[in-house]
Amino acid sequence: MNEMTRLERFRSEIPRPDPAALRAQEDRLLAAIADPAPVRLERAGMRPRAVHRLRLSFATGLAAAVVTAGVMVVAVDSEPGAPPVLHTMPVKVETVLNRAAENVNMFPELYPKPGQFLVFESRTMDTVESNGADGHSRFLARSKRKVWLPVEGDSTGGFIEGEGLAPSAYPGWPIPPEARENLGRSGPEKLADFDDRAEYLRTDYAYLSRLPTEPAKMYEHLYTGLTHGAGADADAWQRVGGMLSEAYMPAAQRAALFRAAAAIPGVTTVGEAADAAGRTGVAAARVDPLLGIREEYIFDRETYRYLGVRRVVTDAGQAKAPVGSVLTSSALLKVSVADQAPR
Amino acid sequence: MSETSRAEVDDASFIERSRHDPEVFAEVFRRHAPDITRYVTRRLGDDAAEDVVAETFLAAFRQRDGYDLSRRNARPWLYGIATNLMRQHLRTEVRQLRLVERTGADPVTASFTERSDERLSAEASRRSLAGALAALPKGHRDALLLVAWGGLSYSETSEALGIRLGTVQSRVNRARKRLRRELGGINPMTTVSEESVHE
Repeated sequence: MNEMTRLERFRSEIPRPDPAALRAQEDRLLAAIADPAPVRLERAGMRPRAVHRLRLSFATGLAAAVVTAGVMVVAVDSEPGAPPVLHTMPVKVETVLNRAAENVNMFPELYPKPGQFLVFESRTMDTVESNGADGHSRFLARSKRKVWLPVEGDSTGGFIEGEGLAPSAYPGWPIPPEARENLGRSGPEKLADFDDRAEYLRTDYAYLSRLPTEPAKMYEHLYTGLTHGAGADADAWQRVGGMLSEAYMPAAQRAALFRAAAAIPGVTTVGEAADAAGRTGVAAARVDPLLGIREEYIFDRETYRYLGVRRVVTDAGQAKAPVGSVLTSSALLKVSVADQAPR
Repeated sequence: MSETSRAEVDDASFIERSRHDPEVFAEVFRRHAPDITRYVTRRLGDDAAEDVVAETFLAAFRQRDGYDLSRRNARPWLYGIATNLMRQHLRTEVRQLRLVERTGADPVTASFTERSDERLSAEASRRSLAGALAALPKGHRDALLLVAWGGLSYSETSEALGIRLGTVQSRVNRARKRLRRELGGINPMTTVSEESVHE
């Protein structure tokens, strides 16, 4: 008897349940489909029979399905003249965030104390619209930034040191002269003069480390103050980004955040995505059909460390740029703890 | 592949219809829940299995918009989701396998009728088999059990786990070698046989 035969016999007394035995499970599934409220991963307070929501998520799904099934032309490097890169979509839905959740303990944990600062070093690329003397222009501003944020409190207690890098062209637009002004180093200076975010949108360490470690509760947190529907799902997905880009939380909360994010309707997987520093990885993504863009959170292919975010055009009409253009991206290069801010 | 695969050829059309008409998704459940339940129960026991199976189909329902409709058979997709969810019970799975290894008593099968005659004769090898399974890296155990217990082909397994076909082959081969080594001390008849059991 070889090892496979033995393995096949091991626990083979467990029967395949007959359909009648699964009737109760099926009923529960149908109930959850019809009314998501009592189900574990759903946020509380959902109105019963969310038919409207299901319709809307179907619209989202069409866009997502196209992404999954098709081949996309994505200009990873938005320098004019760079050849477009072909990306196929072979990876399964939701895998990236689940793997990221499993891997949170692979990285050394930071233990910032009250009074200290978390220091985030990143690269960014953002769309800038400007109305100069020569008329309207658009370009992609690129920068390096280093931000100090207090362990507790809002961003008015933070500082920033920046370096403007050579701009890139927005697809179809010439780079305007003002895009090259004010490049070079700046700061350190105060990060913000005011920060009027609602309490539940706070992203300082003290607040994030008090968030629930259960995915279902974290999911509720992501939807705080939101109604339901595709718009709410899009907002929830954006909030995930707010908690990842210049924010740090303990591993337990991070794992819960990844699992909760994976449950947001419409989340799909992108097989290859590059961050603002040119590092490629895999991404969890969600198409926002109203904006015509896909927002991707990029993770290292091996370790599932969070790398950065990018927004890619999926609907040229809505986004007013060719499909595949990258309009925003960032790369989180380093997170550390400091006793003091530079000023 | 199993004899039911012909009936499953059309999963994609049910998934597609469920995008307009969510209740159609129940058909996907009816087609696959029995096999998935048995698979998950075999790995975790019936307590954890009930939750995992419920969550698997609910997660599948939520992800149906992203399902690649060119995949007519949803089995790899569903086994993949179930595998992800089972990782949350990794410690339970390993603890139970270690218990079998140490004591010969298996909490996973305790609530099912036992084929006592077979159990007795296979006692020693069951214990080392459980120990070997517990010692496998989880990715190797996933691949091996999807093939051996889930009845998935290598390419279905690669789809389920989101890994390359070559990776599935090497994981299954290494897992089999390990099992063979652990069992080797008990039954000298188990000499090398590299043929795949799922052709």
